[in-house]
Amino acid sequence: MPPDSPAAAVAALDCRDVTVRYGAVTALSGITAAFAPGLIHAVVGQNGAGKTTFARVAAGLVQPAEGEVSILGTPIRTGHVSESRAAGVELVHQSFALPPSFTVSEAMEFGATGRGGLFTARRLRRRWQAHLAELDVTAGPTQRIRDLPVETQQAVEIARALITDARVLILDEPTAVLTPAGIETLFDRVRRLKASGVTVLLILHKIREVLAIADTLTVLRAGQLVDGPRPAATVDEAELTRLIVGQSDPAAGRSGAGPAGQPVSPPVSPSVSPSGPGASPMVPAAGSHPPALGIYALRTRADSEGPALEDVDLEVAPGEILGIAGVEGNGQKSLVRAIAGLAEVESGRIMLGGRDIGPRSLGERRAAGLRIIPFERNTEGLSLRSSLWENWSAGALLQRPLLSPVRPDHLRRDCAAALREWQVRYHSPAQPAGSLSGGNAQKVILAREIDEAARLIIAAQPTRGLDIGATAFVWRALRAARDRGAAVLVISSDLDELFDISDRVVVMLSGRVSGRFAPPYSLTRVGAAMTGAEGAFA
Amino acid sequence: MIDLLIAILRSGTPLVYITLAGVIAQRSGVWHLGLEGIMIIGACATILGIVATGSFALALLIAVLLCVAASVLLWVVIEKLRANPIIAGLGMTGLGLGGTALAVEAIFGSQATVSAPFGVPRIGDSFGRFGVLSIFVVALPVVVALFWVLLRRTRFGLRLAASGEHPFALRSIGGNPSAMRLAALVIGGVLCAIGGAELAGGSLQFFAQGMTAGRGFMAFAAVVFGAAHPVAAPAAALLFAILGTLGIRAQLLFGEKVPHDLLQAVPYLTTVVGVWLSSRLRGGGDGGGYGELRDR
Repeated sequence: MPPDSPAAAVAALDCRDVTVRYGAVTALSGITAAFAPGLIHAVVGQNGAGKTTFARVAAGLVQPAEGEVSILGTPIRTGHVSESRAAGVELVHQSFALPPSFTVSEAMEFGATGRGGLFTARRLRRRWQAHLAELDVTAGPTQRIRDLPVETQQAVEIARALITDARVLILDEPTAVLTPAGIETLFDRVRRLKASGVTVLLILHKIREVLAIADTLTVLRAGQLVDGPRPAATVDEAELTRLIVGQSDPAAGRSGAGPAGQPVSPPVSPSVSPSGPGASPMVPAAGSHPPALGIYALRTRADSEGPALEDVDLEVAPGEILGIAGVEGNGQKSLVRAIAGLAEVESGRIMLGGRDIGPRSLGERRAAGLRIIPFERNTEGLSLRSSLWENWSAGALLQRPLLSPVRPDHLRRDCAAALREWQVRYHSPAQPAGSLSGGNAQKVILAREIDEAARLIIAAQPTRGLDIGATAFVWRALRAARDRGAAVLVISSDLDELFDISDRVVVMLSGRVSGRFAPPYSLTRVGAAMTGAEGAFA
Repeated sequence: MIDLLIAILRSGTPLVYITLAGVIAQRSGVWHLGLEGIMIIGACATILGIVATGSFALALLIAVLLCVAASVLLWVVIEKLRANPIIAGLGMTGLGLGGTALAVEAIFGSQATVSAPFGVPRIGDSFGRFGVLSIFVVALPVVVALFWVLLRRTRFGLRLAASGEHPFALRSIGGNPSAMRLAALVIGGVLCAIGGAELAGGSLQFFAQGMTAGRGFMAFAAVVFGAAHPVAAPAAALLFAILGTLGIRAQLLFGEKVPHDLLQAVPYLTTVVGVWLSSRLRGGGDGGGYGELRDR
């Protein structure tokens, strides 16, 4: 689609033949797209489709091998952030990019352009207070970035992007870290920006969100422009799904049997459509077996990682998926850390398969069948600089005696086989884990954590930032593990998905269990439990 | 008492200047273990410069140029050749210690101490007994204050801190972490030159091999102790100097009863305890460093 049709106004962002290569990998090939000013544009695609790279090219963070970029009709030198910013492009990153120790006003000032010079603490505060108030950012100018809840951090990040006269604002996966309420607030914010004349590019992958907000759609797949920008009204959910995953993609979210070669048994419910309760809930066999996980009157101490748990009682039976809902930061991390043996337990018991694991180390807990898919894929789940085979074999090596010999060639071979089975797209087992896209990285973790010996699988935000295909894959794998008799504890902030997969749902609020639900789930009642009756928690 | 104060200021001043150099490097994201080497280059260049030119100003200029050159070299090795900054810094220390000894040997034909006819200008007799203090000593409070303003109250300071704490954040707003580190190391080079000049020319007026005697590492410890804060870290350095001076006094007083070596070790023991305390107080560092994750 040639972008230079005479009818169109000068494009806010105009890319021509943009190609980006990372070493041997082509991340973007020949992207030509023009985005009209004053609209909300969605750029969609699976993980690894090149969305973030595209955003970074526009922002000047990535130097394309070929191609030109014009902002509001002015060609810019590519690969220079200052050029892009001067032309009016600002980018808000998926994993935010503000120094955590900075105060809010320092975070504003450090990116400011124009008159600088000396400032006093008070002048700094004054200078940015009005700017923050204008954007309805609730953070005080002297609060530190690291102390802010994730929604506020994002709002500050957006405020940072708008300190200059931004004409084009790009938000990279802004909804990945937000609760449903947070997403609403964000979308309101985006609509107000649009009303004030800012062109907004949203990098998204959740179809429902895309259709809720976007004026136009642009679909990327495997570094290629598949379609767009075209008016969002001309696309429906089914067609958009097809455009995003492509026809031949084996990971597509279509119904039916799992892809061939998958190590897990056929899924009970292959559907990932967020439409009410999914698989028939297995009623845990009461009495005969001890629960796979039993937590009784558990109290922990609050630490830098999260609030204290207060009298938490939970049971997960073998062959059951228990969903943990709740606004982020209400004790979910503390719960996982307590089960892993990483949090300081004040009182209460944690039983794994009927045995008290209180004094056991994480290694012993893993030997007893505990498996964890951690919150932070890139820091807790994988060592990004280590090779795939090292990452993959870490779990099994932990169980061996300290001085047992290691055969790297065998590990590499077994790793390659496992990764093939789990449909990880990779070049070689020796490549660093950091070179994989989010979905493939998560599959490496799944390949390590979901094995025959798994008795309790904790999946913490297992689909965060993943595209449709990878999300479906994760849910299928968890269901299959459940059907094999493993207990699964899923923590997610995506209620639709949680309702779809969970046999039961427990809501956490301020370190306590504030609600227990069985299907059919009521969004209103679960939502009320998440926010607390008195509404003290937004 | 005044003698003691003068002794503390004299031993503390070089350490504080070097600590400032360490602070600015640390904030920009460089673990500066080359302080010792650059400091001794400054000390050597000052004394040899005075001997050669007969002018303190020229000698200081030479020292500054050499220290800045050494700092730029360190930056090239770290940022352009992608060497590990700790190893590179230790290498710079070795280069400084060995290079100055070699220079003295080459010029004078022996490794003996080089004496200069005069040293850093004094503030003069109108200050009574404090008149023996050098201009760098009295300039110190001003320098620390300016340094604090530069690091905590300017946009430059914020960007410097960002390049150390979250380089990607700096890149995202169009900054260049590598350039910030160059600026930090160059400013640090100037400070190292002053520190070295004060060490060799402040009260002593001679250069001896290895005369820095681990001050670069003590300064680095002060940086860690003071959490790279532009005032807290110099304060930590001053504390080390106070304890060190008291240790020497104690040596004179109790030299008979307490082992000589133990008293000499006091400043170093203080450093170790101080660093341990600071990590306790601040709940331990996170080891620092955000990798630039390449997610696409």
